[in-house]
Amino acid sequence: MTKQRNDTLQGTLALLVLKTLSQGPMHGWGITLQIQEISGEVLRVEEGSLYPALHRMEQEGWIAAEWGLSENNRRARFYRLTAAGRKQLTTEEQNWKQLTEAVARVLNFAGGRA
Amino acid sequence: MGLIRRMRDLFRHEKLSAELEEELQFHLAMREQLNANEGMAPMEARRDAMRRFGNVTRLKEMTREIDLFTLPETVWQDTRFAARMLMKHPGFSATAIVVLGLGIGVNTALFTVYRAFLMRGIDADHRAEMVNVDRTNYAGKFDPMFSYFDYEAFRDHVHSFSGLIAATGDEVALTGVGEGPSLGRSMGGTLARVAGFNLPRIIGGGAEFVTTSIVSDNYFSVLGVGAWRGRVFETNDARAASAPAEVLISGNYWQRKFGGDPGIVGKTVKLNGVAFMVVGVTPKDFMGTNINVPDFWMRLREQVLLHPASTLLKDRENACCRIYGRIAHGVHVSEARAEMDLLAEQLRTQHAPHSDASKPMSIQISGGSPFGRDLDMNLKFAIALIMCAVGMVLLIACANLAGLQLARSAARRKEMGVRASLGASRGRIFRQLLTECALLGLVAGGVSLLMTWGILHVTVVAISATLPAEWGAFALNVAPDMQIFAYVFVISLAAGVLFGLTPALESSKPDLVSALKEEGSHFASLIGRHRMRGVFIAIQVAVCLVLMIAGGLLIRSSTRVLEMETGYETKHVLFLDLYFPDGFGYSHERQVAEIRALRESIRSLPGVQNVTIGRPPDGGGFRSATVALDSGKFVDQAAQHSVFYTYVQSDYFETLGMPMTLGVGFRHDQQGTQTAILSESAAKDFWPGRNPVGEKLVLDGSKQFHTAGEMTPVGATYQVIGVVRDTRGVLLDGSDTSKVYLSLPPDRLEDRPLLVRTEGDPRLLSDDISRVIRSEDSNMVVYSETLDQKLTDSPQFVFSRCSALFASILGVLGLTLASVGIYGAVSYAVVRRTREVGIRTALGATKRDVVRMILTENMRPVLVGLLFGFIGAAVAAYLLRAILFGVRALDPVSFLGVSALFFAVAMLAAYVPARRATRVDPMVALRYE
Repeated sequence: MTKQRNDTLQGTLALLVLKTLSQGPMHGWGITLQIQEISGEVLRVEEGSLYPALHRMEQEGWIAAEWGLSENNRRARFYRLTAAGRKQLTTEEQNWKQLTEAVARVLNFAGGRA
Repeated sequence: MGLIRRMRDLFRHEKLSAELEEELQFHLAMREQLNANEGMAPMEARRDAMRRFGNVTRLKEMTREIDLFTLPETVWQDTRFAARMLMKHPGFSATAIVVLGLGIGVNTALFTVYRAFLMRGIDADHRAEMVNVDRTNYAGKFDPMFSYFDYEAFRDHVHSFSGLIAATGDEVALTGVGEGPSLGRSMGGTLARVAGFNLPRIIGGGAEFVTTSIVSDNYFSVLGVGAWRGRVFETNDARAASAPAEVLISGNYWQRKFGGDPGIVGKTVKLNGVAFMVVGVTPKDFMGTNINVPDFWMRLREQVLLHPASTLLKDRENACCRIYGRIAHGVHVSEARAEMDLLAEQLRTQHAPHSDASKPMSIQISGGSPFGRDLDMNLKFAIALIMCAVGMVLLIACANLAGLQLARSAARRKEMGVRASLGASRGRIFRQLLTECALLGLVAGGVSLLMTWGILHVTVVAISATLPAEWGAFALNVAPDMQIFAYVFVISLAAGVLFGLTPALESSKPDLVSALKEEGSHFASLIGRHRMRGVFIAIQVAVCLVLMIAGGLLIRSSTRVLEMETGYETKHVLFLDLYFPDGFGYSHERQVAEIRALRESIRSLPGVQNVTIGRPPDGGGFRSATVALDSGKFVDQAAQHSVFYTYVQSDYFETLGMPMTLGVGFRHDQQGTQTAILSESAAKDFWPGRNPVGEKLVLDGSKQFHTAGEMTPVGATYQVIGVVRDTRGVLLDGSDTSKVYLSLPPDRLEDRPLLVRTEGDPRLLSDDISRVIRSEDSNMVVYSETLDQKLTDSPQFVFSRCSALFASILGVLGLTLASVGIYGAVSYAVVRRTREVGIRTALGATKRDVVRMILTENMRPVLVGLLFGFIGAAVAAYLLRAILFGVRALDPVSFLGVSALFFAVAMLAAYVPARRATRVDPMVALRYE
């Protein structure tokens, strides 16, 4: 019943969120900004898909949420990484590394032929 | 991990939506602000923020779905799936629930009754602190009775208790109240009558026997129970000697007899002719240290008023009372015991030199219970039997369900195969099947709670409501309480897992390939499964047969008691038991005079043929004596004869229709002379093959049991003047048909019933007779029943009839369950073998062949079960032989009849589904896959 689209983008979004949260608790808006800034505006989180992803990750037990106050004193929902989330992050990082290395190898090989 | 959160989230759906809304709004606001800061116009900033989100409603729905419905491998999913599966097979589910519910229901009902009745503690404020004080006497025998002297010594000198109380009971005559609403004519309960019991009715006289609990002054203060109305007894020794004697009335009797009249307190009632002032009403259903609710409570110190000759307060050897105590705070039972032992050792020296109480003994202290530790052996036996029988019903139910479940799990092999090939692990399938069973167990538990309530209500409440008033009010708490509920719950879960585990284990190791092929040559793999189902059926059959045969034996035994030729007239003889309540100062002469007058007045009533005095031949109240023949010389010293004797009036034999076979009867002017009439058996015993008329025999009953002052022959010589036809007694071996009748002297008419021979139905005369009695003496208490009814009073009859009813009800229940089990198993086998039957039919098997094949196969476990049931029933019959009357333990009618009945029912249960197999169309069957 899990409505999970196991495509790369989704997987990437989870990885990005987990990585971002590994630096400390943050609300959804903060995550959006953070990813955007750190990636040098290259990666733009699609805001519509961020929240379903956050909630799904919460149900998976990777992250936990609680209400807190934002920088400008508004009530905001802060997410933080759980132990399971930390483990998941390690796995996903490895997966990503393998994936990119594999892609890189293919590209290099193809490039060598050219 | 997320399960608990999700479950919680399910229940706070509203809040969740609001939270999500707020979370998204925050994001939008932040974006809007950022946009504004970057120089966008306010409208534009907002629109851009919205645009980036896309469809917000859709987004919210998606997120909510994630929060609520993405429940992966969880118990919740299993449960919902299990519920769907149960709904999809309503037949199986309903059967399972009813079967399990019945099994659990009967168990719980019995457990409730057992607790309410036998495990009940003492009715006190501080139940847990109450204990029974008993002793083990010099011979190591349990003895709960103490004398009042001993009680006072313990009460005053033992400090381990915050209070010690003493209690005893009595039946006393209540007079001058008139017929209350309860007395009426319905003494016997309807249900008891349906079950075949007839209960004696009180007729005549304004008196009524009431149960009285006679207690120490501190009884209520130690128990910590106050009065409902008025007050309880005060522990004030300085009470004026002239103060009127006090009595408390129980709330139950007050409502029943006085209609809850609030003016009762302060009124005077006459008990055994002595005035007692009612000072209070005890709470309804308050039983104190009794097993039922008494009608009245009075002080031990005033007991002497009831019986002027009572030695209770004067005689140290009169072990009258039971002692209960409330352990003082912080005192251990062993300390209390040690302290009491010390004092008991001193008290013993004050007892008469050779009395039991003067010998060494030890005090026993046990948890407070109105029964103490000396539960009647018969009662214990009965409880054990009942618990066994009830346990058997649960066993049948569980075996039944195991069979059903096994059959179904086999039918679901394909489903399991598909699941496994799609990647479900064994543990996963196992868990899911277990969830189904547990769910079933829980539902059945709930249903069984309802059934329990129903069973309890029908049996206990209805029965105790129809019990005769003299038996006292049994206040049973039959509302299933939380503890009982827990019992139900544990049993239902255990049963659910019990029957679920085996099939779950079985079906969770599917052989993928053959499962997917569904029907294949997997008969071999089915043998294990098949055998297991057979075992379950055999168990059910065996257990059920034991119950039914035991029930059959007991029923036959109880009807034999009534059917057997008695040898005397029973239908037209009324038995009148006369009581002259103590305390009214009846002298012996006055009693005899009144009895004589009563006899004459009843004799003159129309419809009465004759009235005689003597104990009826059913044997109740007969005494035994040693016999010597030939003027004092015993025929055979080693085989000293003992014989039953009773004193009768001269017209006794004529009145009861017992013909003389030899010699003559007592002549009227011979009353009280040393003449004797023998029963045929006695004549045969003493003078085999000879005419006993004219012979002499010496009787000595002085060493046998008799009550003080009772007339008994002491070494007197009697001349035999006649022989009368045998009558049946109550003893099972028939040894009490040997009787000697002695002539009753005209001045010893007391303590014997009047036997009234009537022309028509004796019950029609009871109004006339009661009028006569009332005009003769309104203080007299008279119980009346026909001799026919009296036969149903015998302990043999009561016990065997009760157990027969019980065993039969359980037996029928078991039969129903077992039939359902067999039906289910055969139905399943038929469905299972559709293809095989199709092939056989195609190859030329007739319908009869098919039915025979299926029946033979399925009746095999039934036959095995019958065999084991036979053995079990033989063991049960051996255990029951003591209460079987006139039926051999291995009674062929019970054994073969019940087995045949069982076999027939089993055949029917198997035949109905087997016939279905004959309707299999070979073409359809072969194309099945």
